[in-house]
Amino acid sequence: MQIGCLVLRDFRNYQTLSYRPTGRLNVLTGRNAQGKTNLLEGLGVLLTGRSFRTSRLADLPSWGAEATMLGGDLIHTEGTRTVRRTIQRLEDGTWQSAGDLCPWARAIVFGWQDLAILNGPPAARRGFIDGFAARLFPGHLPALLRYRQILARRNRLLQAAGAEGRLAPWDEQLAATGMELIDRRRRAVAALSTELARVYPALAGERHKVAVAYRTSLGEATEPAALLAALERRRAEEARRRLTLVGPHRDDLAIELNGTDTRTFGSRGEQRLLALALRMAEVLPVTEAAGTAPVLLLDDALSELDSVVGGNVLREIHSAEQVFLTSPEPLAVNGAARWIVESGEVSAA
Amino acid sequence: MAFYPEPVARLIDAFQRLPGIGPKTAQRLTFFLLKRPAEEVRELSSALAAVKERIIYCTICFNVTDQDPCRICADPTRDAGVLCVVEEPNDLLAMERTGEFKGRYHVLLGALSPLDGIGPDDLKVRELLLRLEDGPAREVILATNPNVEGEATALYLAKLLRPLGVRVTRIARGLPVGGDLEYADQVTLTKALEGRREIG
Repeated sequence: MQIGCLVLRDFRNYQTLSYRPTGRLNVLTGRNAQGKTNLLEGLGVLLTGRSFRTSRLADLPSWGAEATMLGGDLIHTEGTRTVRRTIQRLEDGTWQSAGDLCPWARAIVFGWQDLAILNGPPAARRGFIDGFAARLFPGHLPALLRYRQILARRNRLLQAAGAEGRLAPWDEQLAATGMELIDRRRRAVAALSTELARVYPALAGERHKVAVAYRTSLGEATEPAALLAALERRRAEEARRRLTLVGPHRDDLAIELNGTDTRTFGSRGEQRLLALALRMAEVLPVTEAAGTAPVLLLDDALSELDSVVGGNVLREIHSAEQVFLTSPEPLAVNGAARWIVESGEVSAA
Repeated sequence: MAFYPEPVARLIDAFQRLPGIGPKTAQRLTFFLLKRPAEEVRELSSALAAVKERIIYCTICFNVTDQDPCRICADPTRDAGVLCVVEEPNDLLAMERTGEFKGRYHVLLGALSPLDGIGPDDLKVRELLLRLEDGPAREVILATNPNVEGEATALYLAKLLRPLGVRVTRIARGLPVGGDLEYADQVTLTKALEGRREIG
């Protein structure tokens, strides 16, 4: 799929913008703080209804604006769909986001924050695999939100004195929804590792062995009963620490490069390349799941990479249906549409 | 709001405490009422008072009612052998609107909600058990909401009622009638598939 046009009103530093990308590869250059990442964010919100930078809707409208509007055309081989979204402040002070969601629209985003997948806490890796699983399986995000609700309520019960007898109905729901999440994460990891084994060596230009594995205290178990039994075993410890100690919210990914855990290994350039490779490895499985290729939003993806590796990256993304790539410096890329972003305006270079 | 006369400010303040009403709507409602005939406003205020003075909970099913037992519990044509358990009186009304259910109800007046500190003792659970001891039912239908609180409540009640030898069922979740499969979200579709039935 491709984005045919994007219209923004009062979005971040864009007062009004009407942007019509032309190429498959669109290179956005401009000095710092001119709105390159904001433009990627706007494209992302148009595609998915959510920002990849923040969960706070109030951050999205321009400073002092009560509402922001995004609109645009999404082009699929079977036809074009016009989508609109309005994010506005309601009377009671809360922010509301309402608009169209296109069932086949997907965005894959790479940014500096993705380094946390490799060197950050387990929560960063869970967030990564949940995001990928949500792009593959539409039921994953609702199940994740449901799981968080169940978990919050169960933890609250553990914090209250003498509530142990009341855990049963929450245990049962936690086990059912938790296993559903673990199952989808495992399938996502399987799809990812196959692609990563191809993508990373292609980007690095050398032979490397990369592996991703899902780590859970439940081992290979697939039935909710196993999670239920694990809760039972940890009951005393849970009562003491007043926290739910087993379940998908405690799991992690192990990412290894040539047999070494990447948390403790790798130069910054290597880590950036591996983070980018993880995102690129999402492309093929997501294309198969959605029935059309996702749009790639790559924020400053070439920095800290040497020119040979940078060239490999450009070659790899050339096969995508549509890519938006930001860069502080102009890039010489054959066949790319070049755009200049300056103080909230986008013009052809 | 200091520049409003005291009665106006007081009414605006009272409206604002209602769910879904913010300061602007509260102002609009207040000035709307100021412009209406005195008669109409008096009618509204007496309706407000009456709802608190005359409405009570049915001592059998805990529905809101102006007579005890309520009309449904007092109706001899309703089947006392089938009991539909709902969270709130609103849910009972929704079931009644279908006109399909000929049994009786039990309103819990809430759902298990650890975040609000609501446990089984805060719901009409003990009353449900006593009721089933008094006059055994053939079937209890758990019609709590399909969210995590409603689901926990249903699971809790199912476990509690099973030893009584009564048939316990849970309402199905699935596709809205008149809807299109293509537009159903995945979760609903999955639940609908889980709850499929033989046909013909």
